[in-house]
Amino acid sequence: MSRRLLVSTFDHENDLLAATNAAREHGYTIHDAYTPFAVHGLDKAMGMRSTRLAWATLILGISGAIAKLWFQIWTSATSWPVNVGGKPLKSVPAFVPVTFEVMVLFAGVGTVLLFLAMRKLWPGKKPAVIYEGVTNDRFVLVLVQDNASFNVDEVRLLFGRFHLVQLEERIERS
Amino acid sequence: MSSISVPARIALRPSAVMMRNLSILAFLGAAVATAGIIIAPERGWPNLLLATYYLIGLGLAGALFVALQYVSNAGWSVAFRRVPEAMTTVLPLSGVLLVLLFFGIHTLYEWSHEAVMANDPILQSKSGWLNEPFFIARTLFYLGVWLLFSTVMVKLSQRQDETGDIDLTRRNSRLSAGFLVTFALTFTLASMDWIMSLEPHWFSTIFGIYNFSGLFLNGLATMTLIVIVLKRMGPFQHVINDSHLHDLGKLIFAFSTFWMYIWFSQYILIWYANIPEEVTYFTRREAGGWGVLTIVNILFNWVIPFVALLPIWTKRHEGVLLRVCVILMIGHWIDLFWMIMPPSMQKEPVVGLWEIAPMAAAIGLFFLLTFKSLAKRNLLPVRDPMLEESLNLHT
Repeated sequence: MSRRLLVSTFDHENDLLAATNAAREHGYTIHDAYTPFAVHGLDKAMGMRSTRLAWATLILGISGAIAKLWFQIWTSATSWPVNVGGKPLKSVPAFVPVTFEVMVLFAGVGTVLLFLAMRKLWPGKKPAVIYEGVTNDRFVLVLVQDNASFNVDEVRLLFGRFHLVQLEERIERS
Repeated sequence: MSSISVPARIALRPSAVMMRNLSILAFLGAAVATAGIIIAPERGWPNLLLATYYLIGLGLAGALFVALQYVSNAGWSVAFRRVPEAMTTVLPLSGVLLVLLFFGIHTLYEWSHEAVMANDPILQSKSGWLNEPFFIARTLFYLGVWLLFSTVMVKLSQRQDETGDIDLTRRNSRLSAGFLVTFALTFTLASMDWIMSLEPHWFSTIFGIYNFSGLFLNGLATMTLIVIVLKRMGPFQHVINDSHLHDLGKLIFAFSTFWMYIWFSQYILIWYANIPEEVTYFTRREAGGWGVLTIVNILFNWVIPFVALLPIWTKRHEGVLLRVCVILMIGHWIDLFWMIMPPSMQKEPVVGLWEIAPMAAAIGLFFLLTFKSLAKRNLLPVRDPMLEESLNLHT
């Protein structure tokens, strides 16, 4: 299975943003956009739905907190009861700081790992740079030529309004 | 991408009805509060202290926000910087109220009675700091320093409207750095003098930060509320966008959690050590109605704002943010009530006319002065080098 991609290059972030908006409005299928730095509003321009990663963070945080709270109660009240200054064995205030820290640890580290897994970024992975310039000063938008009526000249005309630098067709084999 | 250019002038014309109602609220509140001080001084004075402290907090939070933006060279907030600047106009008035409070020293502060001091070895050892002349001198010193810094910072910022001199921004950055350091020291001492010394045997080294967290949280909430009101009234309609609200929401969310963090830090150390002279503060506030108030305090200042502002969309939603701001403004009053009242309300917390009137006056006066100050000049710092960046904020 192979796909025909159209790689368009821009010099300025605002041009890329405007071109992405125009591409979406004209019904083109956007493969992805590549930039040297995070461009605010690009996700909206590409028509991406908001990430579900936040829900994962919430669930990770809550499970971290519950697990650690239970573990502290189990170690200091059930498995090996420890009398600290005559306080009740299950003194929740004493467990709060560690519970809080473990909640942050689970939510923070878990989110990063999950993000890397979802984006298929793991150590030793070979970087696939679609266009060398995006690591420096170029902004790239990639469209998928997914139907017969796709006309490269039309795209060239459309993107010309946004100071298109270069247009290149690629065939992606997978 | 079409970018928003800087409009020449945006003016606020507050409706006469609103200003009249605020004046009535302030006048009635002040009249009843005065009556309260005469009829029931043991309730009138602590409530005047609360209202004054609340007002000073709002004014200081305005100066603090402006200073933080200058030292961090922040561009996003420039579009509404006139709002925190206007908030500082309550400082002179709250200074007058503080001077008024000197007449209530003997009702408020146990340490101001020589007979009590003479028979109390613990208080005697603190008499070098806790005595009337030094207390009054310190209060005047704090006020003077705050007034000086806030007045000059606001003046320089306003002068830029006429001259457009970029050097004014640099001068304000340096001034802001000085203010932040000075504020940290003076406000820590002020909160100890005015609030902590209500219970002179008790002490807490985190008290200054705890008071700062409440002050800044309430300041952010009030500022956001004014920004949203101005957006709804019209002047800020095309100035403030979702990204500004999102950033303000994030700050409120963060400082609400910071408040809870500090509240709990104070609690857990005292709870763990369980030393009688420290722990009485919390045992008094855990019993009966005060215990309920402790929980309500945490609900209003952290639980509700935290849950409400957790998703992205609520921070960008005018209506949700506005409601959270109102809850936080009430929450700060509860927080101060919880700190100030127990020594004078030994049994149960009581909220009646004497409690509500001074706060009504403070709120009325605050909005009256702030809106008056905002109406006086251009709502945008039109020649600030970072205004265009702020108007085009996009996150």
